[in-house]
Amino acid sequence: MSDHTTRDPIDRRRFLTVMGVSSAGAAALGGCSTGKVEKLIPYLVQDPDQVPGLPTTYASTCTECPAGCGLHVVTREARAIKLEGNPEHPINAGSICARGQAGLQGLYNPGRLKFPMARHGSGHREILWNEAIDRLAAELRTAGNRVAVISGAGPGTFDTLLESWVTALGGRLVRYQALDHEPLRLASRSVFGQDEIPVHDFAAAQFVLSFGADFLETWHTPIENQRGFAAARGFERGTVAKSVYVGPRANLTGINADQWLAPTPGSEVSLALGMANALLARGRAPVDAGALSVVLAPYTVAKVAEDTGLSAEAITKLIDEFAAAAPSLAVAGGIGAQHRGAIDLCAAVHVLNYVAGNVGTTVKFGAGVKGGDGYGALAALERSMAAGEIDVLLVHEANPLFTVPRAGGFKAAWDRVRFKASTSLFFDETAAGSDLLIPNLHPLERWDDAGGGRNHLAGLIQPVMEPVYRNVATGDVLLQVARKLGGLLAQQFAVPSYQVHLQNRWAELARARGADPAAFWREALQRGGVFGPAPAATVRLAGNITIGGPTQIDGDGEVVFAPYPSSMYYDGRGANRPWLLENPDPVTKMTWQSWVEVNPETAKRWDVRDGEIVRLTSTTGSIEAPIFIYGGIRPDVVAMPLGLGHSEYGEYAKGRGANALDLLSAQDGQGFLPYLSTKVRVEKTGGFKKLARTDGNPRELGRGITESIPASLAARGLTLKQAYEELGKGHHEINTERELEAITGFREAQVEARKFGDYAAEHPMWGMVIDLSRCTGCSACVTACYAENNIPFVGEADVLRGREMSWMRIERYFEGGEDGEPFKASIIPMLCQHCDNAPCEPVCPVYAAYHTTDGLNGQVYNRCVGTRYCANNCPYKVRYYNWYAYAKLAFPEPLNLQLNPEVTVRARGVMEKCTFCIQRIRGAQHRARLEDRPLRDGDVTTACAQACPSGAIAFGNMNDPAAKVVQAAQNPRGYHVLEEINVRPAVTYLARVVPGAEA
Amino acid sequence: MTSVAHDHPHPKMSHADVTRDVVRTLETPSRGYYLALFSAVGMFLVGVATFVMLLKDGLGLAGYAPPVFWSVYITTFVFWVGIGHAGTLISAILFLFRSPWRTAVYRSTEAMTVFAVMTAGLFPIIHIGRQWIFYWLLPYPNQRFLWPNFKSPLIWDVFAISTYLTVSTTFLCVGLIPDIAAVRDKVTGWRRKLYGALSLGWTGADSQWRNYTRGYLYLAALATPLVLSVHSVVSWDFAMSIVPGWHGTIFAPYFVAGAIYSGIGMVLTLVIPLRKVLKIEHMITEYHFDNLAKLTLLTGSILFYAYAMEYFVAWYSSNIFEQTTFWRRAFGPQWWAGWSMIICNAFVSQLLWFKKIRTNLTALFIISIFINVGMWFERYVIIASSLSNDFLPYAWGQLNPTWADWGILIGSFGWFGMYFLLFARTFPVVAIQEIKEMIPMPRRKGGAH
Repeated sequence: MSDHTTRDPIDRRRFLTVMGVSSAGAAALGGCSTGKVEKLIPYLVQDPDQVPGLPTTYASTCTECPAGCGLHVVTREARAIKLEGNPEHPINAGSICARGQAGLQGLYNPGRLKFPMARHGSGHREILWNEAIDRLAAELRTAGNRVAVISGAGPGTFDTLLESWVTALGGRLVRYQALDHEPLRLASRSVFGQDEIPVHDFAAAQFVLSFGADFLETWHTPIENQRGFAAARGFERGTVAKSVYVGPRANLTGINADQWLAPTPGSEVSLALGMANALLARGRAPVDAGALSVVLAPYTVAKVAEDTGLSAEAITKLIDEFAAAAPSLAVAGGIGAQHRGAIDLCAAVHVLNYVAGNVGTTVKFGAGVKGGDGYGALAALERSMAAGEIDVLLVHEANPLFTVPRAGGFKAAWDRVRFKASTSLFFDETAAGSDLLIPNLHPLERWDDAGGGRNHLAGLIQPVMEPVYRNVATGDVLLQVARKLGGLLAQQFAVPSYQVHLQNRWAELARARGADPAAFWREALQRGGVFGPAPAATVRLAGNITIGGPTQIDGDGEVVFAPYPSSMYYDGRGANRPWLLENPDPVTKMTWQSWVEVNPETAKRWDVRDGEIVRLTSTTGSIEAPIFIYGGIRPDVVAMPLGLGHSEYGEYAKGRGANALDLLSAQDGQGFLPYLSTKVRVEKTGGFKKLARTDGNPRELGRGITESIPASLAARGLTLKQAYEELGKGHHEINTERELEAITGFREAQVEARKFGDYAAEHPMWGMVIDLSRCTGCSACVTACYAENNIPFVGEADVLRGREMSWMRIERYFEGGEDGEPFKASIIPMLCQHCDNAPCEPVCPVYAAYHTTDGLNGQVYNRCVGTRYCANNCPYKVRYYNWYAYAKLAFPEPLNLQLNPEVTVRARGVMEKCTFCIQRIRGAQHRARLEDRPLRDGDVTTACAQACPSGAIAFGNMNDPAAKVVQAAQNPRGYHVLEEINVRPAVTYLARVVPGAEA
Repeated sequence: MTSVAHDHPHPKMSHADVTRDVVRTLETPSRGYYLALFSAVGMFLVGVATFVMLLKDGLGLAGYAPPVFWSVYITTFVFWVGIGHAGTLISAILFLFRSPWRTAVYRSTEAMTVFAVMTAGLFPIIHIGRQWIFYWLLPYPNQRFLWPNFKSPLIWDVFAISTYLTVSTTFLCVGLIPDIAAVRDKVTGWRRKLYGALSLGWTGADSQWRNYTRGYLYLAALATPLVLSVHSVVSWDFAMSIVPGWHGTIFAPYFVAGAIYSGIGMVLTLVIPLRKVLKIEHMITEYHFDNLAKLTLLTGSILFYAYAMEYFVAWYSSNIFEQTTFWRRAFGPQWWAGWSMIICNAFVSQLLWFKKIRTNLTALFIISIFINVGMWFERYVIIASSLSNDFLPYAWGQLNPTWADWGILIGSFGWFGMYFLLFARTFPVVAIQEIKEMIPMPRRKGGAH
């Protein structure tokens, strides 16, 4: 799928191209429009789709988490340079999260295994691929049926091939994803008799209530959730859905909610049941819900208050508001709140949704999302391994030696297996413990399919470039091994390659739909897959529902330990990607380190400060990490992100931070791993570590940077100023009358004054609108900006000096959280505001900072001598300086291959900043000119706006009255940050709308 | 000039004594001198080594912590520019005002000025990110028709500093002519040749004296506005920006007063030991120090007032950005720097109300050290502390200087000290001819003016 047109008349180059292709015949690469891709070939014979200097885009599917978002892989000169969302894909609709984009740093990771390896003494040595396959086949031959496979691959062709392969060998397959949603699926089974994880429609919900589900971070399909959440909260309908988060710690979902409730850990189930009970009493429930009254009756408001420690008023208010909203949506099952009673909690939330009439409207069954076999299945396999029943173990797309708590017996069981093989692309913990390393190809280098586990979605994965290293796709390894083993197995897996196998499967799919297989395949390849309408299954309550009450947390410690999944590192796989290590955690704004979150009150009691290293000890282990004082956590809880503390996994991850799993017992909680299950003791070590946090000061200090407006006032179309007057609150003073008088006409005069030369003509004027009602702070835009603009990471030491280069940063401000004040947080993306009256421009002694004719603050890197005066004078502090040759340090081979050739790689000693993706603007202008048409609204979008899952960013020409951005900027909620200093920014923010009548 | 004869300070010297005593300072130096020179050169080499590292790896070696994009280097730059102000004030302005007490000290202060400006002039180069293209800041004809941005205060700075360096160097050299000629007549060998060349054929003829005194007067008149303009321009580097704590109308006079204050502080620091080492106590006496101290008191009190006004205006403006900046200056994470500046400059200078302190050289020397430290901290506070907390709290950050900051700072003292020491042994640090003018007999007609 090429995004350039080929209508140009034939010129010399094109003539040669056509001649070359004709003579080269079918050997040429046909982009994604031909199935005959065997090799990507150099430009010796140029393909008509591959024009040097123009990007070629391939559709694919993201495998960075099980959600299965659609990708558009932008390639230049046959290398992938950026991952973007596939606009046609129903899950992500064109956007993509930070983790997804960082898939590129998996592809080009310097820690990738370059060849297969075999254990040699205490280490591993390089072997040839045919040796590796012989070795695996030989081991399998002797092992007979004492074979097991642990696979993290989601449902799809590979999974079915793997299953039949393992079955043919007589072995066992365990599908294991560390952050699976087992309790949710088990609860569906017990409440509705439906063995699946439901799909949620956040957009339709008028009230979103989360019981510990971090639906903006890792829960289920974060991008889809976020898009829906933004729609529910974006005030397009003139109303805004209230959101409440219930959990021991306010995560990103929690700080985006209007209210955070922190009941006693383990008691959330009581609140959910109490709400269901109250709703049932109000008679809103479907008729068959009456059977629940036995289960629900004990959960009166008084009992709920006693169980949870919440006030009866708060509970009643929550019930009233939830009951008043239709439809509403309650979700549960987040990893960070997964205690031993997680199934009960998920069941209670299912019941609550059912009673509220949400099942079938905002909670939908029928997509068939299963997740893996769960931790229970892994634990069963572990027992077999420990019993010596497994001789050969193959681990695929999983890292159990990291994601299974060390306290259990997994490692011991692992060691009892005679021969272990790993298909990991990286030398991770599991690979380090394996006897044979047969690195898979990266999903951007191979064929596959993935649909996020939904029956109606099938996304294709296609190679977009020659492999960075000449490894073999695991699908092909399975087939080759089967052939080596001979006999029936060879017959069963006679297909020549995995690609052919995949195409055969898709041909079946086509025939099932009555389509021509070749055309079906071609279209699917172009569009990224086949996306059918979501099936709907009607579910009814199962009989004999029993739901347990509140759960106790084990251990003898003083505080409850709450490890939670990091929105950057996920289950730990993100820890080797500098983009994710340096993209600050959306809540704490921490980078590169592990930390322990402690409530300010508790910190005061313990007399600990930020950065003080403490030792946490549970019954199973002990770890050390620095303190991060955080108002959004219960005083009797400490929290820690998962995903760091690797003992292997490449230079970026190895030895970085501490692994929170070390404090957990590996004990299976009825089929899942209970993360929130232990208490810990905390003691000071006397050590100190400066926190690599990017927030200089976490408080807004009454500067009116992030604004909000009550929904009732916003609905009347009031501006912020009017709203403040209405509320009788003093708005922070923008400008006094006299100041306004002094600056009247100033800008106009400035604009007039510069109208000469090139500036006199009609030009576009680029502007941006950011809707704070939609922005969740997920930070996808940050990584998008890094990827698009070749922004180097600077590493922990320089982050400690505040030298991170994040052109787009998400500022997060806390309010309250101390001295009995309720805890709140607000979020605002901050990037160069491209001020009309820019303070950075006049101070540059060499005109490196200047105003372009189309209203941008240009920055001429080559002219910059590095006085840094512009950065001093920038009130938004959005100019970033190359203190070292960061670009050299940040792009070691082969990471340099990801660099966007459209954007200058900045040298040491120069200032850089957001350009509003000027390369995209100029590219679009050039294309428009080639097509002899004016530039249209929507021709240009910035990388941040494109990636944003919430659709919070609008970009366009402010001089085009029809442009969406102009309409958005006229919204009465619009305001400029630091308006009082009269710099006339080109970025308008829309105040966040909060439900109710109070700001 | 005649009107001041009644309190002239050198009653018991003859012209021959003056020449002899001054020329004696140029004879074979003591071991102490070599020790001082070698340590100055050593310090300078530390700076050179640091600069080489900066060139090799980048400015990241220094402690810069955005939003603190300027820190120790610009602090030290302003410090040295400030030091350079006392010289011209004493030699030019006081010359025009006919202050008799300037005579004994002006040569050393003028030398100090030139070397301080030479030192300061290095910093804009050291501090920029791409030192190898520093000349882009200069307006030179080039085929790309690229000119510097004359709106940028940094360009004003380039002009101010280069003008000042040119004028003060010329002033120093011209002032030296008769003295060099006097020394030329007393020495032999290579020195005689050197001084012969530098004295530009001075014979002491009346016509020469007439031209010389005219020329000197014009130069003094030319240099005088620079005393006010140079540091005003330097202050506009800050005042023209919008950074809270920088953006103040008070800046130009405040900086000029500070510059003179720091300059005299440095004069005291240098001259008190120098007169001892060179055994010219009878030429630079309590009388001179008393007057220097009075000038210190005056400028210190102006600073006191300026500090108070900064806080008052911050409070009175109701501007929360200004208010926060000044609150944090006193009580923020860098409170120690803020208080160092106030105590060393505003408070310590007030001790000079007492004549006993003004005439006690030990006390003055100690106070002068406080002044140097205080004035360095003043610039540090204005630059690093203001930058560390501006408009968006999220972007705040604290500077934490490293060896690379201190290396360059040490190197700048070494560079300055090296030149000053070499000068003190090569040229008369006391103006022979002007002292001779102060001596009643035989008296030259002073009617030239």
